[in-house]
Amino acid sequence: MNLRLREAKVGHVSQTPLLELDSWLLEAGGMHMVLGGNGSGKSTLLRSILGVHPFLGGDVVLEVGSREWGPADRSHWVNHLAFVPSMPPKQVGLTVKEVLELSGDVGDALGQNPRMKAWLGLRLSQLSDGQAQQVMVARAVLQSPCWVVLDEPTAFLDVAAQNEMWAMLIRHVEQGGSVLMATHDLRGVQRGLSITTPEVKAKSSISLLRKRGVVHLSVEATLEELESEFEGNALG
Amino acid sequence: MSLRGAGVTALVLALVAGHVFWGEVAMSPWEVLLAAKGDASSELHEVVLQAVRIPRVLTAAAAGVLLAWLGLLMQTWFRNPLAGPGVLGITSGGSLGVALAVLLGWGMPTWLGASLGCIGVLILIGMGARRFASPVTTLVFGLMISYAASAAVTVLESSASAESLQTFVFWGMGTFGKATLWQAATLLGLVVMLGGWMRWRSGWLDAWLLGEELAQTMGVSQARMNREILLVTGLALGWVTSVCGPLAFLGLAVPHVYRFFHAGRSHRDSAFGVAAWGVILALAADGLVRFTDAGGGAHWPLNAVLAMLGAPVVVSVLWKRTHDWS
Repeated sequence: MNLRLREAKVGHVSQTPLLELDSWLLEAGGMHMVLGGNGSGKSTLLRSILGVHPFLGGDVVLEVGSREWGPADRSHWVNHLAFVPSMPPKQVGLTVKEVLELSGDVGDALGQNPRMKAWLGLRLSQLSDGQAQQVMVARAVLQSPCWVVLDEPTAFLDVAAQNEMWAMLIRHVEQGGSVLMATHDLRGVQRGLSITTPEVKAKSSISLLRKRGVVHLSVEATLEELESEFEGNALG
Repeated sequence: MSLRGAGVTALVLALVAGHVFWGEVAMSPWEVLLAAKGDASSELHEVVLQAVRIPRVLTAAAAGVLLAWLGLLMQTWFRNPLAGPGVLGITSGGSLGVALAVLLGWGMPTWLGASLGCIGVLILIGMGARRFASPVTTLVFGLMISYAASAAVTVLESSASAESLQTFVFWGMGTFGKATLWQAATLLGLVVMLGGWMRWRSGWLDAWLLGEELAQTMGVSQARMNREILLVTGLALGWVTSVCGPLAFLGLAVPHVYRFFHAGRSHRDSAFGVAAWGVILALAADGLVRFTDAGGGAHWPLNAVLAMLGAPVVVSVLWKRTHDWS
């Protein structure tokens, strides 16, 4: 299911919009990376797409052929877009099993990531940030086989944990899912996209947020190219 | 059932039996059974059992369950281990209502004054919660209402007669002993309502623990959940306060005791255990209140006993655990 933003204005009520976007198509089956500095409106954009924050103008729809749905159809939206926040939840006494069961079948999650089997009985609060974030990604995949939306998911992770997370996301996309990730981890983006299949890469995108519209970068861009584009164009 | 679960159940049953069988009027277990059936040889036995002991033990147990669940609910809603049923100011509203009834001599029973006060605060909080997106803002709003209500109570106290002041102070000490059988029955009805609601919404409450925003993307409607929490909390706490006086501390303490002894943290798994420990703490405290009764009605105040039992328990829990309240 493609995700389409239509003339979306993102920001807070009675303030000038943080972002004014043209029509923007995010193709199903791809890894879509949204780059932007701190304060560029990345998080607000994601929250608006997820339907927990209102757009100041325009809208977002999921579309298949000529049919489309908006975030107002909550249950449909929740079944097709799941969220992974930047920081895994703290001080949560629910076990890994209980967290996964909130969104689906534990067996399916273990199929995605067998390492979690050893943690099932542990509380979320007993895991490292890297492990907890893997659980959060697995939970999101259970909730939505379609879009998984992540807000700087690697910000608190070491390199090994980042690699685990990328592996899970790539598996999700290769099984027909889609990923939308806001990040400023240019190295992670470049490395992550470089290990996907050509089919996935063809549907993926790297977009740099600007106050008006986005700059689309090549998914084949090198780290140096990403860095110079970022410095030349990014907000904030 | 696990060994621990069996132990907790046995403790609950032992406390209930102790409250029914033991008291100033000595009755053998056989006489208690006869009195319960209404066939007692002595009318005194029937009166003691049906008008005193049974309403009291039912009230204590039901109030214990309700306060314990409300404590759990508030700790989940605010994702804060120090939250308790009193944080929304509803109990303070009850106090103000009783102060108006007693100190100004409006001549209504204390339970009615307390109910009206609780409903008044509930309406205010409800209006606030519509405006505030975050529960924490609602919490601060509730605290302010609490302070304002306490201030009003103090003003009323300053000009009250000594006799009415004494009535008010005694109400504030709390008791399970003044409830009638129908009041006890309504409390049990609220146990069914709150328990049913928590079971129905256990998925939402569990998701809420993961964070406000994430929960919403998982399908939790924040506005609806806030409304429902306010409604069930207001009803249950308002009526407990009306019948038993302001007893908020029990609700803060019990979830910690539960977490110390038991592993389950999902709301579905923990509801029963939290309820059992609520009954245990309430009945143990009331046992001490009855034990200290010198005969003329002078006894240790329930609120004092609850804090005496509960505070060391919470501290020891915090002490032993490496501060993992979850």
